[in-house]
Amino acid sequence: MTDRRRLILYQAGVLVALLTGWEAAGYRHLIDPFFFSRPSAIAIRVAEWFVGGSIYRHLWTTALETVLAFLVGSATGVLLGFIFGRSPILSSIFDPYLKIANALPRIVLAPIFTLWFGLGILSKVAFGVTLVFFIVFFNTFQGIREVDPNLLNNVRMLGATDRDLVRHVLLPSALAWILSSLHTSVGLALVGAVVGEYLGAGRGLGYVIAQAEGTFDTTGVFAGMAVLAGFTLAVDLLVTGIERRLMAWKLTALRPELA
Amino acid sequence: MPSGVFTGPALEFVEVERHFRTPGGRSFVALARLSFKVAQGEFVAIVGPTGGGKSTLLNIAAGLLKPTHGTVLTFGEPVDGVNRRAAYLFQNDVLLPWKTALENVMLGPLLHRWPPSRAREAAREWLARVGLEGFEDRYPHQLSGGMRKRVALAQALIVGPEVLLMDEPFSSLDVQTREFMENDLLALWQEDRKTVLFVTHDLEEAIALSDRVLVLSAGPEAHVVGSYPVELPRPRDVTEVRLDPRFREVYQAVWERLRGEVLRAFAFRERCRPRGDS
Repeated sequence: MTDRRRLILYQAGVLVALLTGWEAAGYRHLIDPFFFSRPSAIAIRVAEWFVGGSIYRHLWTTALETVLAFLVGSATGVLLGFIFGRSPILSSIFDPYLKIANALPRIVLAPIFTLWFGLGILSKVAFGVTLVFFIVFFNTFQGIREVDPNLLNNVRMLGATDRDLVRHVLLPSALAWILSSLHTSVGLALVGAVVGEYLGAGRGLGYVIAQAEGTFDTTGVFAGMAVLAGFTLAVDLLVTGIERRLMAWKLTALRPELA
Repeated sequence: MPSGVFTGPALEFVEVERHFRTPGGRSFVALARLSFKVAQGEFVAIVGPTGGGKSTLLNIAAGLLKPTHGTVLTFGEPVDGVNRRAAYLFQNDVLLPWKTALENVMLGPLLHRWPPSRAREAAREWLARVGLEGFEDRYPHQLSGGMRKRVALAQALIVGPEVLLMDEPFSSLDVQTREFMENDLLALWQEDRKTVLFVTHDLEEAIALSDRVLVLSAGPEAHVVGSYPVELPRPRDVTEVRLDPRFREVYQAVWERLRGEVLRAFAFRERCRPRGDS
């Protein structure tokens, strides 16, 4: 435990040193605070946002978009991954198109989504979905495809119908793969929301940063980034908690290479 | 047993042939003219060279594969689809990693629509019978290889199959664990003498366990080339029975036949090695 405490101490030390150096350099005019701002100013700005309450509607918007993008992207990814995983014909027909769609840099879709779905949360959700979908889709597909045929045969010998196989073997097996991509897909849902907001929106953390940038308000940009970082951290902790709860039998049992 | 009056063989292969398509698009005849019978309550071991179609044979008996020609009868009825009278113990680990030992054993009963409380009770009893009391809530990756085999054995036997198909089930275990498992299997078998078809490439294991050893020829076109009764007293201890002079006699006789097939299999593999089947 002392080793762990010492590590935390060192980690905090790095942060303190960085912030102090930044603050001092700004104070002594070694760097221009107009371009680099100062940690104290950023902290004050963040505090103002929270005390004044102006940041909450932005946080709420970004959170809502993230959750929706994650849910819709995961649901469609699981569904199609499952269908394609069970049907070699379908998967061979669509294989090149899926590869092309996945290779496309998703950011080019943002303007088209804004045109289609407007400046509201829908366009951000759609953008996030295109990011989340492929991660979940490919993981589910892989999960279904790589189920050990002996596992299926064994359960079949024990008296399983096709529906039993789905319930007892295919779904749990796919779930393991989906969960292993949970961190990535939640992270991408958030990226989708923020980038979408940044490119054109009326609210949200990405919008806050874009607005500050538009008025050369460096402090505002950094304050937005700080809030975003805190938000990401909170989401990540939440996902880790969910993972721990769901993975009673340990991911490592099925995919030792992840250990 | 629904066919209490049926006294014929528990399992009968009649002129079974099975083809496979190779990646090169050619036809490979794994089994040909394969005929044999296993009487009810008989423990039959099949030995043959590695890669000689032994697993194919078991999969056909289990109804997981269809023969290209010929028929398989179980208690006089043709096997169509999964053989509901048989349980199968696979060579590799096939326990579901997301279920505990107890849940894995309960699976068969639940699939047979037993009430959950009864399934749980029976699963507890079976885990105790295979010596795993207290390990009910462990997941497969928290168990040793031998323990996983015991769970698999309980999982296969709990639904009361009339025929037990075993595909080199202990080949992945170390020698000591393996002899323990073999003795435990014999003890369990001694209780109700189910029909067993046990496939192995280990001749000593085959003789130590079985009533009769069938020798399978080297593939392709594998078929039975010899049948050797093992008249050693039961109950047996697999370690001690090896010291019996009659054990040596049977071993000599079977090995005489098997050696030729092993050499043929080896020669065939060597011939195939340079360019596959092209």
